[in-house]
Amino acid sequence: MLKIWSMKKDQAAAEKKKPKVTAAHIRLQKDMGELQLDRNTTMSFPDPKDRLNFVVAYRPPTGIYRGGEFKFTFAVSQNYPHEAPKVLCTQKIYHPNIDTEGHVCLNILREDWKPVLNIKSIIFGLQMLFLAPNPEDPLNKEAAEHMFNNRGDFEMAVSRTMNGGFLHNIHYDNVHYRD
Amino acid sequence: MAQTPNQRPFGSASSLVSLCNIFIMKVKIKDWKAVAGWRWDVPDDDVCGICRAPFDACCPSCKIPGDDCPLIWGECTHVFHMHCLLKWLGTESSQQQCPMDRRPWVTAS
Repeated sequence: MLKIWSMKKDQAAAEKKKPKVTAAHIRLQKDMGELQLDRNTTMSFPDPKDRLNFVVAYRPPTGIYRGGEFKFTFAVSQNYPHEAPKVLCTQKIYHPNIDTEGHVCLNILREDWKPVLNIKSIIFGLQMLFLAPNPEDPLNKEAAEHMFNNRGDFEMAVSRTMNGGFLHNIHYDNVHYRD
Repeated sequence: MAQTPNQRPFGSASSLVSLCNIFIMKVKIKDWKAVAGWRWDVPDDDVCGICRAPFDACCPSCKIPGDDCPLIWGECTHVFHMHCLLKWLGTESSQQQCPMDRRPWVTAS
């Protein structure tokens, strides 16, 4: 009889130690279930126990950012899906919609977020930014003006910065990948 | 196998009827229990766009589906778990708009 009591206590303690599965976890799990990543996109979990923080890497197959692999950290809050995940680019890149701090200008991450969207919609949005950078909604104004005024020169600047070069005294990260 | 009138396959409706004709059964019902099912008036297997759980299940903050976790319809025809929608409308970023079409949310009466 005494043994049963101690077993119950152990069980309760183990229950408390287990990470709580919240509504955000449940919803995120459903998102992951229907997520079918294309071959240019990969997802990884730096801490496998923490399902709310992960990294998405994207290799644009065409366009001026081809050849690079761009990494984004996703931080999903407990208020998900009522609050958009916080997405940051971990590399310093030259892009009209991503500033050198890694902030991403994507409407669905800010004012146009709604809880019927999911992780897939955000990944689509990020992919779109690399296939069709949008200088009309800039976060890096300099890059946007550059793209507007001299497309050819801008494209050269992009490939130079992707190699890990300097531009206007700012050092950019080498984003090329090796297979 | 050829069937003679006495060798009808057992268990079919016709054989049951003929059996009843042979043995007129007297049955007295002593007790009966009614069982009923219910579901929300939404298409089969439809899920709430906010929590992605089926409408026939409850929202993530409830344990039992039913009247305590009802659905809410908007004039725009979109449906959600009431608790999911109210939580969204309670956030500042919702601007009181439907999460599907971003039109001002008006609950259908």
